[in-house]
Parts: sequence; structure tokens; C-alpha cells
Amino acid sequence: MAAISKLEIPRAPWWKRKKFKDAFTAILFALPALVNFLVFRYFPIIWSARASFWEYSLLGGFRKYLGFGNYVRLFGDRLFWQSMGVTAKFFLMYVPIVVALAMLLALFSNQRKPGMGVIRAIIFIPVVTSFVVVSIIWGMLLNKDVGLVNSIIRSFGLPRISFLMDKNNALPTIAMISIWKNVGYSVIVLAAGLKSIPGEMYEAAIVDGANNWQRFWKITIPMISRQLMFVTVWATLGAFQVFIPVYSLTQGGPSRATNVIVYYIYSKAFQFGEMGYASAMSMVLLFVLLIVSVLQMRLFKRDY
Amino acid sequence: MTINKISKEEHDQIAKKLHQKAVMRKTLNAIFTVVVYILIAIVFIMPLFYVIGNSVRDSRAIWQNAYPISLRTFIPFEGLTLQNYAKTLGLDPLGTSMGWDISRNLLISLLSAIVVVCLSLIFNTSAAYFFGRLWFPGKKYLLVFVVATMMIPSQVVMVPLYLVVDSLGIINSFWALVVPWYASPFIVFLLTQFMSDLPYEYDEAAIIDGANKWQILWRIVIPNTIPGLVTVSLMEFQFIWNEFYWPLIAISTKNLYPVQVAVASQFTESEPNWGVVFAAMALASGPIIILFLFLQRYFYESVAMSGLKG
Repeated sequence: MAAISKLEIPRAPWWKRKKFKDAFTAILFALPALVNFLVFRYFPIIWSARASFWEYSLLGGFRKYLGFGNYVRLFGDRLFWQSMGVTAKFFLMYVPIVVALAMLLALFSNQRKPGMGVIRAIIFIPVVTSFVVVSIIWGMLLNKDVGLVNSIIRSFGLPRISFLMDKNNALPTIAMISIWKNVGYSVIVLAAGLKSIPGEMYEAAIVDGANNWQRFWKITIPMISRQLMFVTVWATLGAFQVFIPVYSLTQGGPSRATNVIVYYIYSKAFQFGEMGYASAMSMVLLFVLLIVSVLQMRLFKRDY
Repeated sequence: MTINKISKEEHDQIAKKLHQKAVMRKTLNAIFTVVVYILIAIVFIMPLFYVIGNSVRDSRAIWQNAYPISLRTFIPFEGLTLQNYAKTLGLDPLGTSMGWDISRNLLISLLSAIVVVCLSLIFNTSAAYFFGRLWFPGKKYLLVFVVATMMIPSQVVMVPLYLVVDSLGIINSFWALVVPWYASPFIVFLLTQFMSDLPYEYDEAAIIDGANKWQILWRIVIPNTIPGLVTVSLMEFQFIWNEFYWPLIAISTKNLYPVQVAVASQFTESEPNWGVVFAAMALASGPIIILFLFLQRYFYESVAMSGLKG
């Protein structure tokens, strides 16, 4: 039969065959989305990579080719390194606390007790609230003269604390606000992981005489390592890109104590109009973030 | 046998002791849980109540009650007024003349979020249909092309994105808020997983009945992915409603600010009217919080789905 049909029906050229006609209509479904990704996700990076080799301004466009000029300037820019240092400090304050606090809250809200659904919803409300509103609320609560937090501190007879206007307190305060806003997201991810651990594993461990502590380290942590990795990488990406609380509360101050890298790039690009230089910094940040997230994924994979 | 030697009284005593111990532990545990419960509630909810409470009294009353702390600090017992809301919503000529009116900004946020959700439903769904259920040579590599964009951190590419959108000539217009986001690699990826889970027998039956690809998408795939579509629509809505960095750089006309940028600019004024700022904050975050309270399940679903990709 096969032989006969081969003899009798001449094969159409490939572009006329049904399979390829189908493929042609198929790609039409994806085309608008693919165009979006090309134009608004890939093209900006290519454009920015090009701009990073030029003296590029918003009004003047590509003005002068500098070669690696912007990158050389960046390595000599004391403020760039200071800004990277601030970002690294923020990362160290933010990530461990988000992950640890999320773990505690996930364990707490995972108990079979009434009202835990409400607790989870309460912790999640800041996640859906805009970061601008969250920043302003905390800016008011932490205000030195009229803020509620200082009123409470004062009621205990302690001196008022300048949270955002003191160069030692400003960055930890920004980190605290970011933790308050974002921790709920990680709680939900970790709680989903905890729920998926079969109860028999704990029962078996209890029979073997493992205590709470051992059960936590030998069962819980390994079983949710995937979720822990996700939460850590996600928090790291967030830490390196913090912008909104700095923009709305401290504008990088006092004395550059909160001059995080995204804010520095923003101010160079849109306050000083140095697009080429800002693009070069964006490229470096992109590179750093890729390396950091790949390293973290490696670190977690090693356990398995 | 030693067991027999325990008298009834002794046995009762031991049982009573054990029972007391268990009750004690249970009570302590319950107290601990309640304390943590209240602590969490205070830390996470109190700031929001503070906003709502202060948005319904005038600035003078807010600062008069700020210190010393009393119940009045949190709950407005007297001087209740909706003036602040009237001023922010443009119902009070004073508010309009002072530039406190954010009704237009609220409308822009709402409109751009709705437009993006609709466009996203059209373009992301059809792209996911392509990736999840249709044949194309080298489709695998195209999916890599899509997934790779998710590795790009969003804030980092805002400056470059500005350059591209500027060259399209739509910077500082409503379209700048909408056009870059009409499709999302992340949502295409999520919906693709949803759609490839559907059994193919449905399609085959439909093909035998003479249905084409559009009909299969409309009659079979979409009705079976409704929960997924609701989830991603909420994700998009929340993303556009709360987005700040992009509109901050893309829009330079105050009339075109979305609500988040408008609120921030009110706050950074030299002499903000605090009652008005509180009311504006309540309006800028209220809709999304209400949406969350009614549709919690879908919000958690979106988190769980994004956690899966890790």
C-alpha cells in the first residue's frame, strides 16, 4: 500500500505540505508575543550594550564613540564602588533575614491551628500593596518628631531615634522596610513546600528517636531545598535592585549612605542625562547579577 | 509482676500528674501561639490601620494625637471627616487648586491595568497555545528564547527600555504605560505549562469534527484553563497597578502620572498636606488589597506557580 501511494501521489514541495502549512499558521499565534520580547526585552539590552561604548545623551543621541571609555571611567569612579558597597551591605542585611524570618513564619503558619489562614493573609497584604505606599507609611511611622514608632519609644522614656536621617541607621531602616514588604511572598513559597512533605517521614523519624531539632535539619530543610533556593535567589535579585524606598525616602542620603546601585544609575541617567555611562553601569550590574544567581543555584545543587 | 503492685490510688496519682503536665504544655503552647499571633497582626496590619484612621481626619488632628500615645493615636474618635477623600478625588475645588486631585491618575492606572490585562489575555494565551500544543520546527529553541528573558532583572533594563520606547516615539504618553507590557515571557511560560497538561484526545476529537486551530483554542483550551487565566490576569493587574520605576521615567507630564507616581510626588512636596497624603495612599493601595482579600486563592496560586520554576 505504502509503495503504491508513493508511486501514484507525487510529493508536493515542502512549503505546500500540510505539516508546514500548519506550522505557518501555528507561528502566527506566537508572533505578536515574540515581537514584544524581541523589541522590549532583547533589543534594549543590545541597544544599551551599544550605548555603553558611546557618549550618549537623551537629547544628543549617539554623540561620540568612546570604545571602552565608559568602562574605564567606571572602574575609576569612587562613587560607583561606594554605591556597589552600599548595595552589598544591603544584600547582607536583607537576604539572610528575609529567608530566616520567612522560614519561621512559614513553620508557624503551617501548624494545624485555627486562624492560620488569617495570619497568612495578614503577612501577604504588604506584598500586594505598592512599594511606594509602603515606603511612605513607614517614612511617617519612623519620622523622628511625629512618627508613631518614636512616640512609642518616647513613652518608655527613651530618647527619640532618627531612623532615616542618620547615616548609620538609614540603610538598616530601608532594609527593614523592604523585609516587611516582601517577606510574605517567601512565606507562601516555603509554606507550599512544607505542605508537600509527607507526614510519614516525620513519623518514621520519631520512631527512630529523632528530636525536633534533628527532624528540622534532616527532613524539613532537605525536603524544601528547592523552595529555599528559589526564595534565596529571588531575595538576592530583589536586594540588588532595591530602588523605590530609597527614591521616596532618602534620595540616596544621608551622605550617600543609601546610594544603592539602581538609584545611582537612575540619577546618572535621568538627573545628569549621562545615558551612555548609565548603560555601562547597567551592563556591569546585569553581569554581576547573572554570576551571583548562577553561583547560588550551584551552591544549592551541591547538596543533592 | 511490678505492674500489679501499683495500687489504684498510686495509679490515679501518676495519671493525674501526667495529665497535668500535658495540660500545662498545651496551655503554654496555646499562649505562645496567641502571643505570636498578636505580634504578627500588630506588625503587619497596624501600619495599614494607621493609614485608614488618619485618612479620615484633618492634618491638625493627626499631629495633635501623635504624642503622647493614646487610643486616639490609632482611632479617630472625633473630628471624623471625608474632606481628605473629597480633596483627592477632585470633589473639592480647594483640592483641585492645590494639585491634590488624583482622580485622573487613578483612572489612568485603572485604564492601563485593564488594557494590559486584556492584551495579555489575547497575546499571552495564543502564544502559550502555540508553545503548549502546536507543532513547529525548532519550537524548543523558541521557548528557550522566551524563557531566557525571565533571567533579565527588570530594574536593570529600565534605562535601556527607555531608549527603545523613546525611539518609538511613544515616551510620555499613555501608550508608554501599556505597549511594552502587552506580552510577558513569564506568563507565556506559566500558561504553556497549564495548556500542555490538557489531554490531547480533546483536540483529536475536535479535529475529527472539523474544527480548526482557532476553534480548538476557543472551545477546548481556553475553557479548560480558566483558573490559570484568572491567576495571570490578577498578576498583570497587580504588576501594572503597583509599577513605579517605569512610569516614573517614562512619564514626565503630571497629568499622565499613574497613581503610584502621583502619590510619591505628593509626598516629596516641600509642604505636604498629611491628611490628603493618607487618603491618597488609601486610594492607591485599597483596590488591590480588596481584590486580594476576595481572591486570595488566586494570589497564592500565582506565588506557588512562580516558585515552581526555581
